[in-house]
Amino acid sequence: MLETIELTKRYEDGMLGLDSLTLKVEPGEIFCMFGANGAGKTTTINLFLGFIPPTSGTALIEGVDVHKEPLKAKRHVAFVSENVMLYGNFTAVQNLDYFSRLAGKRSLSRADYAEVLGRVGLQKEAFDRRVKAFSKGMRQKLGIAIALVKDAANILLDEPTSGLDPQSGREFLEILQQMRDQGKSVFMSTHDIFRAKLIADRVGFMRKGRLVTTKTAKELEGADLTDLYIQYMEEPQAEPAASPAET
Amino acid sequence: MLRDIIRKEILDNITSPKFVFTFLLCTILILVSVYTGVTNYGAERKEYTAALALNKKNLESQPNYSSLAGIGVKINKPPQVLGTIVNGVEEAVGRVAPVNIAADPNLIDSKYSSNPVFAVFGPLDLMFIVKIVLSLFAILFTYDAIVGEKERGTLKLALSNDVPRDRLILGKAIGGYISLLIPLLIPLILSLLILLIAPNIHLGGQDWVRLVLIFLMFFLYLSVFFSLGLFVSARTSRSSTSFLVLLFAWVVIVMVIPKVAVIAAGQARPIPSVHEITAKKDAFLQQIQVEGQKTAREWVQQQQAEAAKDPKGFQDRFRKFLEDYQQELTGRIDANNAAIERDYQLKKGAQQSLAVNLSRVSPASALTFGSMTLARTGVDEYDRFLASVRAYKPIYTKWINSKMGQSINFQTGEMAAIAIDDMPQHVLEPERLSRSLLRTIPDFALMAVLIVVFFVGAYASFLRYDVR
Repeated sequence: MLETIELTKRYEDGMLGLDSLTLKVEPGEIFCMFGANGAGKTTTINLFLGFIPPTSGTALIEGVDVHKEPLKAKRHVAFVSENVMLYGNFTAVQNLDYFSRLAGKRSLSRADYAEVLGRVGLQKEAFDRRVKAFSKGMRQKLGIAIALVKDAANILLDEPTSGLDPQSGREFLEILQQMRDQGKSVFMSTHDIFRAKLIADRVGFMRKGRLVTTKTAKELEGADLTDLYIQYMEEPQAEPAASPAET
Repeated sequence: MLRDIIRKEILDNITSPKFVFTFLLCTILILVSVYTGVTNYGAERKEYTAALALNKKNLESQPNYSSLAGIGVKINKPPQVLGTIVNGVEEAVGRVAPVNIAADPNLIDSKYSSNPVFAVFGPLDLMFIVKIVLSLFAILFTYDAIVGEKERGTLKLALSNDVPRDRLILGKAIGGYISLLIPLLIPLILSLLILLIAPNIHLGGQDWVRLVLIFLMFFLYLSVFFSLGLFVSARTSRSSTSFLVLLFAWVVIVMVIPKVAVIAAGQARPIPSVHEITAKKDAFLQQIQVEGQKTAREWVQQQQAEAAKDPKGFQDRFRKFLEDYQQELTGRIDANNAAIERDYQLKKGAQQSLAVNLSRVSPASALTFGSMTLARTGVDEYDRFLASVRAYKPIYTKWINSKMGQSINFQTGEMAAIAIDDMPQHVLEPERLSRSLLRTIPDFALMAVLIVVFFVGAYASFLRYDVR
């Protein structure tokens, strides 16, 4: 389970990156976070991964305080970044092998790697090709495979669908579906409202570091997500009378 | 986990184009430099042996001792076998020191003076390759070690696992250093084989120890740049910035500091020019010659009456007078020259040591001076050789004066044929290894300190590095 309690991050230059975020992503739940660039989505992920210290509040992964015990907390989380280049001189299998070893999976065979790479939709011919020849979408699939192979209970995804073609996007949604079925907590920062609507159990809208509101999948049924997105991203004076942020 | 990181680092480096480029260039440059060094040493050794034989023949062919005194003897500086690796100042300073009664000995006939083109480009020895080319490669291997991973997003991905940062930087440092050593070690081993099988290279036990110490110094020097690269890479957020900072640091360390140190020392401790010194010596020599002629004339005039009575006794007394007086005059010339030289050498030594000490803050200077000391091809070795020739000069002068006095028959004016079997020989004791080592301790220490400082800096910076 992923959880934040009054999590706040103010940067050295005084900018408020995250303002008192309280949120819980339950096992088997997919939570999609929307927001403009700089709204605080990636800051939340960085705080979960212990890349930056919080100004106040707590980020918990499986109940472990990330700030106090970062290494222990990171054992329970896998991460997919927006645009990871990976090691260009390595093949897909070599990249996967290295990161799975870092994740503590040392006894995986080539067949295991092939299975995971196949699951994310990477073509067989690409397994032993150098990653520097990969397209952005292929690298993204490999990034997802790296997260999958860790088999962590929690997944953090930072704009994972950017660069994916429609076919790959569909495959990606299937993978997310599988993750949910396996009881994983998934936190995804995204601008991709259409795919999010298809898969999310809950969505949140962030503006200037604040979580403005959250909506369940049921609440989203029949709603125009684009309108909602635009509405919640606007300045407070134009803000619609929304329900208070769910925690 | 550390093993995985090291393995990845090595694999990542050796599959990169920069590794192939480095390996090829290292192999070509190192092998060419050692081959050239071996060939040059063989030629110099031949030249040296030929020069010794020619000198002897030349001395023996002189009709009398006066003529021998006129041409003097030539002391040839033997080439150093480790000059094949570290050429030092071998080619810049002279290879021959003429010794005669009048002039103060100095080294002449340098390779650069016979062919100034060599001075323009300098020698392509192994030390030069390590100092200039390989230090740049060390930067090439490290400038993006941390920041490059940040840009690729792999650092964030790696640290999203329970990987301690200290282990990651340690793995990267070890793996990166091994990757840098691979293209260096293979040609170096081949170079050692060349030294082993080359027919004109004979390395003694001490030479091998010196060679190992020189190689150790090379590795330390490269480690300085490697750890500096790691440090800068862990302090910057763009690899282009890291590269520029390192390039600037390299220029300052390798090019600017050594040259500025020499200029600064020249300004702070000025010394008289060589022409000034020569003019002073020549003036005194002229004065002595005038005085000598006058005294000899006066002596003959005083002894004229006696000469008529006892020509044989006069001849013996005149011979004795000339021998003693010549000895006295050359003694005075030597004393004067020695005083001028002593003063000059003191000033020059002070300037030289100031320049050396100022420039030693740069590891490039430490490498230059340290490796030259170990190879016995440095300025200090040249000074030692010159000092030994200057110490030899009065011994030779005394011998030739005595021979000249004894060999003249004043009645017939004939001079006896020469025999040089008992001519005193110049001896140069090679510097002991312990002494060389003692003098290179500051250089080794400086490099070790810099490595520790930069690595600790890199380590501490990486622990707080913003991976986003």
